Amino acid sequence: MNFDISGAKIFFRIPTGIPVLGDILITETILVSWLVMAIITGLCIFLTRNLKVEKIGKRQAVAELLVETATNLVRSNTGGKRFDRMIPFVAALFSTSVVSNLISLTGLRSPTADLSVEAAWAVVVFIMITANKIKAGGVLGYLKGFTTPIFVMTPFNILSEIATPISMACRHFGNILSGVVINGLIYAALALASSAILHLIPGAAGQLLSQIPILDVGLPAILSFYFDWFSGIMQAFIFTMLTIMYIANAAEG
Amino acid sequence: METQQLVTIVPWTFIATILNLFLQLYLIKRFLFKPVQEVIRKRQEKADQDIRAAEKAREEAESVRSEYEKNMANARAEASSIIDRAKKDAESRSEQLLRAAEEQAKNLKTKADQDIRQERRKALNELKGEIGGIAMDIAGKVVEKEIDEKDHRSLIEDFLKNVEEAS
Repeated sequence: MNFDISGAKIFFRIPTGIPVLGDILITETILVSWLVMAIITGLCIFLTRNLKVEKIGKRQAVAELLVETATNLVRSNTGGKRFDRMIPFVAALFSTSVVSNLISLTGLRSPTADLSVEAAWAVVVFIMITANKIKAGGVLGYLKGFTTPIFVMTPFNILSEIATPISMACRHFGNILSGVVINGLIYAALALASSAILHLIPGAAGQLLSQIPILDVGLPAILSFYFDWFSGIMQAFIFTMLTIMYIANAAEG
Repeated sequence: METQQLVTIVPWTFIATILNLFLQLYLIKRFLFKPVQEVIRKRQEKADQDIRAAEKAREEAESVRSEYEKNMANARAEASSIIDRAKKDAESRSEQLLRAAEEQAKNLKTKADQDIRQERRKALNELKGEIGGIAMDIAGKVVEKEIDEKDHRSLIEDFLKNVEEAS
């Protein structure tokens, strides 16, 4: 039995002939991320249906709790209301990340198991950080920031600047991918083990039963608790927190 | 089925993800943040309004209370003045009455005195005449002799004088 792990499936290829960008690939990543967006938006619409000023229902309470949690998270980490317009962005980033990570529970491939997704998010965050730095200190101040504390440090400063989005993207991607890899390995290994054990039953019954990977029931669920639930939520949280912190830091100059 | 590499960046997926992120940002703003913030704002407004209304009601109650207290004080003053006046009235009235009664009583008394005196004089006169007649009768019977008119009269007069003194 062979076990191999590959990237997202490509369902459809639209040839474009553009040199660098290449063909448009309709991959599993794209389709599932659409599903993720639909889930989040649907949930938002569901939660905010007939909002009331008084005597609110459970759904409205949840909606208000979500908004308030996002608001408090951003405010307590940036110290004040300066970044209030960033709150929906943070909420969008976090919710997309969490739902993308957790959608692997349904057997779909997480969009976050594709580096393109995290790279895109990290680049957006990086642009925001840079924009905030330039806004705080001006273009000259931004460029001058690379020469501190002494001129010799400039290459290292540039390196560390570029390392920010790369590390953010790779951290998230690595965690999710490792979950995919380990889950795949464990499923395969347990299938082999159950096949081997059930093969010990003599006759046709053993032949038939060995086809059923009975050991795949149970243990992977426990591991999935760590790799899907804990790691998935944790990575989304870390990515979001880093976004907030970096942007808040950048604005302070 | 064809698959992409495990660790790679597909340019179009990269671009699509950026667009998706901003689309999601818009959707989450439009469908979660805007309505919820709107409803929270409305609630805040309503709470402010309620507080303002309560404040106003309190002020009104305060003014009503002070007015009531003022009225009460006025009423109390008026009542006490009425009572004073009534007391004074009653005093003067009673004095008047007393004086009138006294006067009346005095009048009555003097009149009664006069009446009594008059009655007494009348009675005395009557008695005088009667007693004189009786005395003459008795004397005539007892003495059985005619004394002259003059002696007779002086006797009677004496007697009467005695009677008068005795009475």
